[in-house]
Amino acid sequence: MSIARAKSVPAPRQTHGAPKLEARGITKFYTRDGNRLLVLQDFSLSVAELEFLVLLGPSGCGKSTLLRIIDGIEPCDAGQIILDGKDVTGTTGAGRGMVFQGFELFPWRTVMGNVAFGLEVAGVGSKERMDIAREYVNLVGLNGFENSYPHELSGGMQQRVGIARALAINPTILMMDEPYGALDVQTRELLQDELLNIWEKQRKTVVFVTHSIEEALYLADRIVVMSPRPGRIEQVIEVPFARPRSDEIKSTPEFLDLRRDIWQSLKKGARV
Amino acid sequence: MMPALQRLALPVLGFAVLLIAWEIAGRIAGPALLAPPSSVAVEYVGLLRQGEMLRELGVSLRQMAVGFIAACVIGMPLGAVMGRSAVADAIFRPWVSMFVVTSTAALIPLFILFLGTGLMLRVTIVFLASVWYITLTTYNGARGISPQQIAVARSFSASPLQIFWKVILPALYPYLLTGARIGIVHAIRAMVLAEMFVIIGYGALMHRSGLSLDTGQLLGLLITLMIVSLFFNWVLGAAGRWLAPWYDLQRVTA
Repeated sequence: MSIARAKSVPAPRQTHGAPKLEARGITKFYTRDGNRLLVLQDFSLSVAELEFLVLLGPSGCGKSTLLRIIDGIEPCDAGQIILDGKDVTGTTGAGRGMVFQGFELFPWRTVMGNVAFGLEVAGVGSKERMDIAREYVNLVGLNGFENSYPHELSGGMQQRVGIARALAINPTILMMDEPYGALDVQTRELLQDELLNIWEKQRKTVVFVTHSIEEALYLADRIVVMSPRPGRIEQVIEVPFARPRSDEIKSTPEFLDLRRDIWQSLKKGARV
Repeated sequence: MMPALQRLALPVLGFAVLLIAWEIAGRIAGPALLAPPSSVAVEYVGLLRQGEMLRELGVSLRQMAVGFIAACVIGMPLGAVMGRSAVADAIFRPWVSMFVVTSTAALIPLFILFLGTGLMLRVTIVFLASVWYITLTTYNGARGISPQQIAVARSFSASPLQIFWKVILPALYPYLLTGARIGIVHAIRAMVLAEMFVIIGYGALMHRSGLSLDTGQLLGLLITLMIVSLFFNWVLGAAGRWLAPWYDLQRVTA
């Protein structure tokens, strides 16, 4: 079957030695109306240097929570996050850049101001950070919109700003929390291609969260399929498609087979 | 959407109907009860020429400004702290909720006992009439700050101080302006109220024209007061649009 075949293909960019990022035994509860809700239980995951890893799962499986714990903006109840061999649990920074689901741009800052935000809080001088910001505004194709405010931009353009803002601090690991979830299908596919282009130019480790199987297959080196609450690893898939990828792979039998397999495994845990 | 002509014509029509009704009522009632707009207009030109109205208005507004600025200086930080800290909220909200529903007029006799009838009284009354609205508007703004935007700042390792200056304060900004707009209207009302109690300044002018049954003059003074309130409201709104082009102030004007 295709999964077996897929699994036998060695991961294209998996390097040997220590992983770039490790989540070890992450457990997370939410307290809602006095009830403890188990979101993640003893969840472990390791991400290789320069790997494009996608966390795929239904809503409520804890994939976004896991990403926020990895980024350090959300505390966990047990477990550790190891980045480049160092324990970074509960701290932010250290080469992590995050793209948020609802874009979360600062409405009072222009495109340039938003992109430069991370550099500004890091104390980079005004001239230098504007130069860097301009470079990333160009990278995401927003030249001409440097002085626009977020409300003047379409959703797709806003998320380009979100991506430029995360990239501007030159992170070694880019974390993306359903970055295209709020966008229409055409914009989403366009931005997926742009992301792959940027990624070819600026190789980084990427942890990308989505609930779209197609998006996962199109982007990932490896897909971690998660089960609904509490989030566990249901299945790990090495994606066999060569890079650079283009739209055509989406209609290949291999792509469709994988898509069906993942759908089957997601359906198993689905509770409607 | 209404056509442009209708959008312009309807308010004018509404205004005209009111003026005509007022004119008719005024002619029936006579100037001692309700001066008609035709004689108020004549009276108004006289008031402007004579200069006392504008002079008293200037003095009163300067004193109002002292109370209002004090209300901003106290109310804005207080509202922000209450909105961001559960402890401060628990301590101060009962007080704020109590004072905001208290009639300013009811407080004046008490404060005359405390402070006499001088400048301090008027400043204090203006302050008390506006500070709670400024506090509560800021408080609601501070509570409404998106936790996601704070998460973004934390994700970029912003310090608490940086989060305050670069996220909380700009996010509060439209609420500060709206609080000031609501506050200044209450401040002007309180100014006149306090002056009428102690018969001084602009309030004294109104008091006297009421006593002398000169409704033409009284209505003229009222109109000036309305214009002044609308003007300050407009200035603060325009300042907001100019300083914060990203924000449509109407979104928080409840």
